[in-house]
Amino acid sequence: MKENKEQILVSRLLQKEEAAWKELFGVYSGGLSYVCSRYIINKEDVHDVLQNSFIQMFRSIYSFEYRGSGSLKAWITRIVVTESLKHIKKNPDFKKVSEDFEIADEQNDEDPNLEEISQPTIMMMIRSLPDGYRTVFNLYVFEKKSHKEIAEMLGIAENSSASQFHRAKAMLAQKIKEYKMSKTAHYE
Amino acid sequence: MNNNEWLNDLRRKMEDHTEDVPDGLWDAIRNELFVEDKTENSIPIVMSDDLKAKDKAVSTIHYKPVLYRICGVAAVLAVFFIVGKLLVFNDKKEFVNYSHIKENSPQITFPVQKSDENAFEEEMVLKRNNPDNLRHDFVVKNLNNSPNKTEVKNDLESQKSNREENQKKYVHTKSQQHNENTELQSIETEKYELLTKEEREQKQKLKENEKIKLAKNKNKKSWAVGLLTGNASSSSTEQFPGYATLNGATLSLPEMWSSGYEDNPLMAILIANQDKKVDAKIKHKTPVTFGASVSKRIGKKWSVGTGVNYTKLSAELTSGSGSNFISSEQNIHYVGIPVQVNYTILQKGAFTGYITGGGLIEKAVSGDIKTKYIVDGIPKEESKEEISEKPVQISVNTAAGLQLKVIKNIGIYAEPGVSYHFKDNSSLQTIYKEKPLNFNLKLGVRLIID
Repeated sequence: MKENKEQILVSRLLQKEEAAWKELFGVYSGGLSYVCSRYIINKEDVHDVLQNSFIQMFRSIYSFEYRGSGSLKAWITRIVVTESLKHIKKNPDFKKVSEDFEIADEQNDEDPNLEEISQPTIMMMIRSLPDGYRTVFNLYVFEKKSHKEIAEMLGIAENSSASQFHRAKAMLAQKIKEYKMSKTAHYE
Repeated sequence: MNNNEWLNDLRRKMEDHTEDVPDGLWDAIRNELFVEDKTENSIPIVMSDDLKAKDKAVSTIHYKPVLYRICGVAAVLAVFFIVGKLLVFNDKKEFVNYSHIKENSPQITFPVQKSDENAFEEEMVLKRNNPDNLRHDFVVKNLNNSPNKTEVKNDLESQKSNREENQKKYVHTKSQQHNENTELQSIETEKYELLTKEEREQKQKLKENEKIKLAKNKNKKSWAVGLLTGNASSSSTEQFPGYATLNGATLSLPEMWSSGYEDNPLMAILIANQDKKVDAKIKHKTPVTFGASVSKRIGKKWSVGTGVNYTKLSAELTSGSGSNFISSEQNIHYVGIPVQVNYTILQKGAFTGYITGGGLIEKAVSGDIKTKYIVDGIPKEESKEEISEKPVQISVNTAAGLQLKVIKNIGIYAEPGVSYHFKDNSSLQTIYKEKPLNFNLKLGVRLIID
C-alpha cells in the first residue's frame, strides 16, 4: 500500500531528520501560530509556547498514530493547545473573570453573520476577549471540548466554564454586531 | 442561546486561517533540537519565498542564540580564570604561612640564623675590602642551606659535624684535602637530597622557606646573606657546628672547577647562583578534574548523579635563579567516584546553571616526581621517581556549575567549586593536605536521564 505524503513525512520525522522537521514547520507553523495566538496574546509568549510545542512534538513523535489524513495536523494542534494551556496556567490570574461586562439581552435571536468579516478581524475580536472567557471559548468552539472536559483541563467548575463560555459568546456576538454597524455607518 | 450554529460557521471560517509565525522561531527550535548535530553554520530558512523582508528578519534573529552561546562560553572562561587566579593567590599565601607553621625546626632555625647574621654583619663590614674572601664564602653559604636544618633537627648529626669540623681544622692549610672534604660533603648533601621522596620534598620545602625568609629579610642584599654565614665559621662554631663543618672547607672557585664539581649539577647551580638573588617558588597547581557523569532527574529542579572522575594534582617547585635552578615536578593522578546532588537554578536555552554538592572518593593510581637540574638554561641532570604510595582520598564538595546541552541528553559542564579533603594518612605532600579546603575546577560530560 502506498503511503501518502503525510505518512512519508511522519516516517521521516521519526528518523529525527532535520529537513523533515523543517518541512513540518514550514507547512504547519502558520496554522499553529494561529492556534496559539487564540490563547496567548503576548508575542514573545507565543514564540516560547510554539517552541516548546515543537520540542514536545520532537520528543513524542514516536507516540503519534496515523489515523487518516489530517491526523498529523490534529495531533500537533493538540500539542500546541496543551502547551498554551500550560502557559496560561502559569499565569495565576487566568481564572479571574471580569464581571463588569454587561451581557446584552439576547432578544434578537439572529445569529451574527460572519460572511463579510475577514479572518484577521475575527481573530482580533477573539483575542480581545478577556483571558478566562477566551480560553473557555476557544476550547469549546475550536477544540470542541465539552464543558466537563474544559472544567477538568482548567481546574475550574463545570458551570463556571459554561457561564464563561456564554459570556464570551455574547461578547463576541456584540462585537460583530458593533463592527457591522460601524461598517454600514461608514458606507452611508 | 439555543443556537450555536454560527459558532460552527466561525470554526469553519477560521479553519484555514494562519497567523504570522513569530520571528526566529524555527532557529530557536532548530537550536534546541539539532544545532549540536551540525556546526553553527546555519541555513537561513525561507518559509515564504515572497516575503523577503521576513526572510531577512529570520536570518538576523538567527544570530541571537549563537550570541548567547558565545556569551556563555566567555562566562565559563572568565570563571575559570578568576578561580585560577584565586588559587594561585591562595597557594602563595599558603606557602608563606607554611614557613611559620610547618614544623618546629624552621622556627628554631630562623631566629637563630638572624642572630647569626647580626653577628656576622660586623665581620662582613670588616671583610668587605677583601673580594677574594667574599667569593669563598658565597660558596660555603650555598652548602649551608640544607645541612643547616639537619643539625637543628638532629643533635647526633651535629655532633658528628663537630668532629668533622675539627678534622677540617687540621687540614685547613692543605688545599688538596680541602677539595676532598668538600667533595665528601657535596656527596653527602646530594645523598641527602636523594633520600626518600617524602623527605626530599619536605626538605626542599624547608629549604625554600629558608631561602625565601632570607630573601625577604635581606631583600636587596641578595647573596650577601651567604657572605654572612660564611663568616660564621669563627664566631658561631659552638652553637652551630654544622656551619662550621661546611665553612671549614674554605674552597676557592678554581679548586672547585679543577676538581670537577661542574659535573655535579647541584654544585654547578649553587656556584652559578652565588652572586644572584635566589628565590624559590613552590606552586601547587589548581587540581583539574575531568569526568564523565550520569545524572538522573528527580523532580523538576533536583537531580542526583554519579560517575567517574580523573584528577591530576601537580606541584612545581623551583629553586634558584634565572637560568640556574632546580626544578621538581610532582604529579599524582587520581581516579574517583563522585556522588552528587544537583539543584537547577536557571535554564536558558541550552544552558543550565546549577549548584551541586556531594562526596567524592578518590584513589591515587599513579604518581611521580621529576627533578631537573638546570645550569645555564641547559638541563644537566634529570631524575624521575615513581611514587609508590597510593592513598585513598575522601572529600566533600560543593560547586556552581554551568552546563551546555550538546545533544539531546548529553551536556558538557564546567564546575568551579570548593572542596574539603579529609586526611588520607599518607606521607604524600599534596595540595589537599596542606590546604584541605580547596578550590577546583571540574570539566566533564554528563548524560542526563529523564
